[in-house]
Amino acid sequence: MGLLSYDAADVVVREDLAAAHERAWLRLARAGTWFRAERRLAIAAETRAARDCAYCAECKAALSPYAVEGSHRAATDLPENLVEVVHRVATDPGRLTHAWFERARQSGIGDAEFVETVGVTATTIAVDMFCRAIGVAPHPLPEPEPGEPSRARPAGAKSGTAWVPMLAPEDRTAAEACLDNVYVSPDPTFVRRALSLVPREASGLFDMVDAQYLPGRLIADVAGRHRAIDRAQMELIAGRVSAVNGCFY
Amino acid sequence: MLRASARATGDAVDLNAIVDEEAGDGGIPHGSLLKAFAEATLADDGTPLTDVRKRLRNALGDAALVDAAAVIANYSALDRVADATGIPLEPAKEAGTADLRAELGIDAFRGSP
Repeated sequence: MGLLSYDAADVVVREDLAAAHERAWLRLARAGTWFRAERRLAIAAETRAARDCAYCAECKAALSPYAVEGSHRAATDLPENLVEVVHRVATDPGRLTHAWFERARQSGIGDAEFVETVGVTATTIAVDMFCRAIGVAPHPLPEPEPGEPSRARPAGAKSGTAWVPMLAPEDRTAAEACLDNVYVSPDPTFVRRALSLVPREASGLFDMVDAQYLPGRLIADVAGRHRAIDRAQMELIAGRVSAVNGCFY
Repeated sequence: MLRASARATGDAVDLNAIVDEEAGDGGIPHGSLLKAFAEATLADDGTPLTDVRKRLRNALGDAALVDAAAVIANYSALDRVADATGIPLEPAKEAGTADLRAELGIDAFRGSP
């Protein structure tokens, strides 16, 4: 595909990992379920721009982030309400609140659009964070490909557990077969269900997870060693990242 | 998962190492270095990351650096998905980790309404 390369890195990046990141970039370049490629790439660009947003920095430093007045420094033509979602998710995820989510919804963002926005933001952050960690420059974002979003909403998605509706394994149909790589057990964890309102986004995210962390079938093998660091070392890193991010999950 | 992996291998780990910057390696080989690598990557403050990356490569090798970087990337994404979608803990996990979360202060990370 040639959308990104780790050839410039000082270290050899596993082929499966580089391929997963390349697939992630390809997904950014194509129409999603609710957004055309141009909007997905604008979300990715805005995810990067959030790091240099003075208002985000001010909110991050504040005891009450939602009491800070100001506006985001946007780098794209995304609507303000989407910029707010992308920047907050990118820069201060540990202090997102249900009230903030409801304000985003009341501003006109559909629940599935919100989920796709979160998926694109998280995808961009994963690839960029990996680049930073190994010491290579962020990959240029790809060029958009033509295509229309499918706007396919799972009929069985239900509200009530999370802020967003989710699709339980027993409620999915053949139309959501792409969740096969996400729902790898009969009772998948909530983080595996979190983006299920947009099944293709969930599937794409967990395509990356399989390579970055472990394939779902190996997660329960807590004594096994499947990477160059052992499982306890992996979990220490995972736990420390989540603690720094303020993530309770 | 850290507690589960330690139980499975019979290793003694100090879970405070996750939440406490000063808690050391938690009984995990090169734990302090791996924590420092994660913290420096998330902080993105230049020189410390370059230095800790070099120390990690020297201590554990290139493949370990790549896999550690991949875990950082992974949880940087999954944390945001979990926080932005408002998923709760699964009931079984909530019940099974109540003592641990209280001890480590993880409940304080929950977003307010």
